[in-house]
Amino acid sequence: MKGDLPYELWEPVIGLEIHAQLNTQSKLFSPAPNHFGDEPNTNISVVCTGQPGALPVLNKEAVKKAVQFGLAIGAEISPVSTFDRKSYFYPDSPRNFQITQYETPLVRGGTIIADVGGTSMTFQVNRAHLEDDAGMLKHFSSFAGVDYNRAGAPLIEIVSEPCIHSSKQASAYAMAVRAIMLYLDASDGNMEEGSLRIDANISVRPKGEKGLRPRIEIKNMNSFTFMEMAIEAEVSRQISLYTNHPHRQPLELIPPGTYRWDPEQRQTVLMRQKENADDYRYFPEPDLVPVVLSQAYLDNLRATLPELPHDRFRRYVSDLGLTEYAASTLINEKQLSDYFEQALAICNHPRMLCNWITVEFAGRLKDTGKTLLNIGILPVHLARLVQMIEQNKITGRIAKSVADDMVATPGLDPETIVAQNPDYQPVGDIGSIEPIVDEILAANPQSIIDFKAGREKAFGFLVGQVMKQTRGKADPQIVNSLLRKKMENS
Amino acid sequence: MKRLHHLSALELRNAFLNGEVKAVEIADFFLKRIQKNNKPLGAFLSILESRALFKAEALDKKRAQNKPLGKMAGVPIAIKDNMHISGEITTCASHFLNNYKAPFDATVSRLLEEEDAILIGKTNLDEFAMGSSNENSAYFPAHNPWNLKCVPGGSSGGSSAAVSARLALIATGSDTGGSIRQPAGFCGIVGYKPTYGRVSRYGLVAFASSLDQIGPMTATVADAALTMEVIGRYCPHDATSLDLPAESYPLSPELEPGTVIGVPWQFLQDLQPEMKANFMASVDAMKQLGAHVVDIDLEVLKYSIAVYYILATAEASTNLARFDGIRYGVRSKNAKNLDEIYEFSRQEGFGREVKKRIMLGTYVLSSGYQDAYYKKAQKVRTLMVEAFEKAFAICDTIMMPVAPSGAFEHRSFHDPLQMYLQDIFTIPANLAGLPAISVPSGYDKRNMPLGVQFIGPQLCDVSVLQYAYAYEQSTKHTQIPPNYV
Repeated sequence: MKGDLPYELWEPVIGLEIHAQLNTQSKLFSPAPNHFGDEPNTNISVVCTGQPGALPVLNKEAVKKAVQFGLAIGAEISPVSTFDRKSYFYPDSPRNFQITQYETPLVRGGTIIADVGGTSMTFQVNRAHLEDDAGMLKHFSSFAGVDYNRAGAPLIEIVSEPCIHSSKQASAYAMAVRAIMLYLDASDGNMEEGSLRIDANISVRPKGEKGLRPRIEIKNMNSFTFMEMAIEAEVSRQISLYTNHPHRQPLELIPPGTYRWDPEQRQTVLMRQKENADDYRYFPEPDLVPVVLSQAYLDNLRATLPELPHDRFRRYVSDLGLTEYAASTLINEKQLSDYFEQALAICNHPRMLCNWITVEFAGRLKDTGKTLLNIGILPVHLARLVQMIEQNKITGRIAKSVADDMVATPGLDPETIVAQNPDYQPVGDIGSIEPIVDEILAANPQSIIDFKAGREKAFGFLVGQVMKQTRGKADPQIVNSLLRKKMENS
Repeated sequence: MKRLHHLSALELRNAFLNGEVKAVEIADFFLKRIQKNNKPLGAFLSILESRALFKAEALDKKRAQNKPLGKMAGVPIAIKDNMHISGEITTCASHFLNNYKAPFDATVSRLLEEEDAILIGKTNLDEFAMGSSNENSAYFPAHNPWNLKCVPGGSSGGSSAAVSARLALIATGSDTGGSIRQPAGFCGIVGYKPTYGRVSRYGLVAFASSLDQIGPMTATVADAALTMEVIGRYCPHDATSLDLPAESYPLSPELEPGTVIGVPWQFLQDLQPEMKANFMASVDAMKQLGAHVVDIDLEVLKYSIAVYYILATAEASTNLARFDGIRYGVRSKNAKNLDEIYEFSRQEGFGREVKKRIMLGTYVLSSGYQDAYYKKAQKVRTLMVEAFEKAFAICDTIMMPVAPSGAFEHRSFHDPLQMYLQDIFTIPANLAGLPAISVPSGYDKRNMPLGVQFIGPQLCDVSVLQYAYAYEQSTKHTQIPPNYV
């Protein structure tokens, strides 16, 4: 059915709300530890459980991280911003109101630059503000409990303009946001632990139509893959409804509602219809004073911003000569990019290093559940492996075997691996290589003719034959010079 | 030595420090007074007998060992039951919190105990401090020691009754729209509402956060000043706390030459003749001390009650949302699902006045109505702040009556709006965050006490207490009610 839909006639319009948990020591309004995964209701204070008489006190570290994010995306930072109460009753909400920034967010505007399949695109951010997270409901067989460990954790909510037009753009944008948070050390970006959760507002319209059609919201997605699937499924659903009911009103076909993504059913599932817009009765939080930021404070934070993912991306592409695809693979995971940087400091062969990181080792580790970062292969090991290739101490083919060994026995230096295995010693003496060169030349007279006619390809073929015969161990330089000398003299 | 309850807090402290009386004797004496008088007065909701005796013994030991003692050493203090004392029940005079054991100390309770006060009991109030008569207590009403048929005022009516009858020498009150000053006036004691932010609200169960302020209720202005030295401190747990050094309050019976007092005559034009006469006498007393009196324009204050009942209920509707039966308080036994827990617990736990105010506050914040009510009220509040600023440009302090009348009889108001009008003279200081004090100014023809207010500019707590002290010393209206002498 999917294939039958006239996708080419429709344009998806998507806006994302990304909730990123800030990795501050304590919570947004209380001194309780901001830490995931402990025994329920251990990281709490009287503020986190909404005890009567408890008062919120703003965490300055959270403000700093949110401001850094704003500066990183070139946004306007409000010199004075305020908090508001957002009222709704739910057991995970300890005061039955959330403290958020409704009227005057800390961050307004700004842009996110993301690589979408090799093309750099710019996305507009509407606003970003601070708010506190809710607790978590736990359902048991005969009752439900609430864990308030997460209650009060600092969140930055980053709201994009409805400027995203495909699932791929959505994930590229979200990954770029996540990368910025990682580079600022503002969030751990751990999606499995819920440190980054995404709501998507989705509508579609016929291409060329200016206005926006009714949208629905998919809440709480914590994986880029699921988000892409959810957006695609929802876009199909909407296009299909419009296509099959061309005469019905958009609002009738797509009534506003809140959905969630069901990964098992692979479809969006309606949670609740928004017949009457929720009334959260926002009003200024009287227990908090406005956040006032001085120009000196902002100047200082601006001056001390670390290198951001997009700057690094440009450096990788223009200075190091990486492809845009390779560069974006590296930068989206800050730790991987840092790993690359460490290796680069030892061995200045960026493209080879990048290839070994993103292709060779990634492929070897794919099904192990491990990554280069946690398996124990140090950046210096990777750097030495590439150095050995560059210095012709080993051939490319041997290097691949050495890499296999590095994965099998992580922590072992590749130089040691090579030194301990005679099979990895390249054959360097001319005496043992020369007969093989002669043999190959004798067997391939046509290649000699081609070489003399100026076809370099023929030379490469002959080198390959020699290497094959020596099972990759022959020193390529010796092979090269022998072949050239012999053919030129023949 | 005079009998203990005839002493001011300052005098009693000095008597204890000088070894004239033991702390255990003090605690015993006041506990007995409470036991004897509390039933007819309804002033206390709980009596902290063992806590008080334990503290008293510790104080006697400290004194015997010549260890340093605090500013409140040996003074029996009552805490309004909407402020926490760690480990004790805080009810807010609500059935919802029948069983709520405070998990932490209010900053005020902690500071008082650190200065060696003897916390002796928790006082009655209108449920969640919502009321002007103490009749909204879910347990029992408090009564006026000058006439048990009359209310002690509210919401801090238990505190005013306790201090007036000298069951404690100091009580804490909280003042959102006059809840310290009006009951102090009704019971013939001193009640002081400091500048907003001067005293930490941490551990005070919030009614309306932007208006609530804790302050002392005492027999004398000097005792109020003493209390302020202890509780008027910056507190890092309250974001609205003023980050200023604690002040000392030197008091002089003389008025500084050139003191100018502003009176909003136009705003006071509808005063009853008896009240007007009493107020004029107070103004004259200040003139006698050398003050110059000027007319000031505070006409905008006529909107105070409307503005107050919008803003206070708006904040209250969210402050009280946490009372849902999930984490603490009383959960309805009839509830079978989540919605019923919310609905029944709140239905059964809250009294009529509280529910009314929650509904009113919810309404004025609703989308579609917020502009007409909440936002407009905020604008008028700003106009009031500006009107006060203008007034203080030409005067040092403003005098006003505390209430339109003396204490009224129980159940005399059937129209809630008439009851709300009781707060017309006290609410403005809350809306503008100003320091304001109520001092006894004499008695009406029923022999019920009356009070006069001094209101100062923000942060001028010291001078407000100074004006009140000069007035008090020159008029000496303060008396112990006949039945409690």
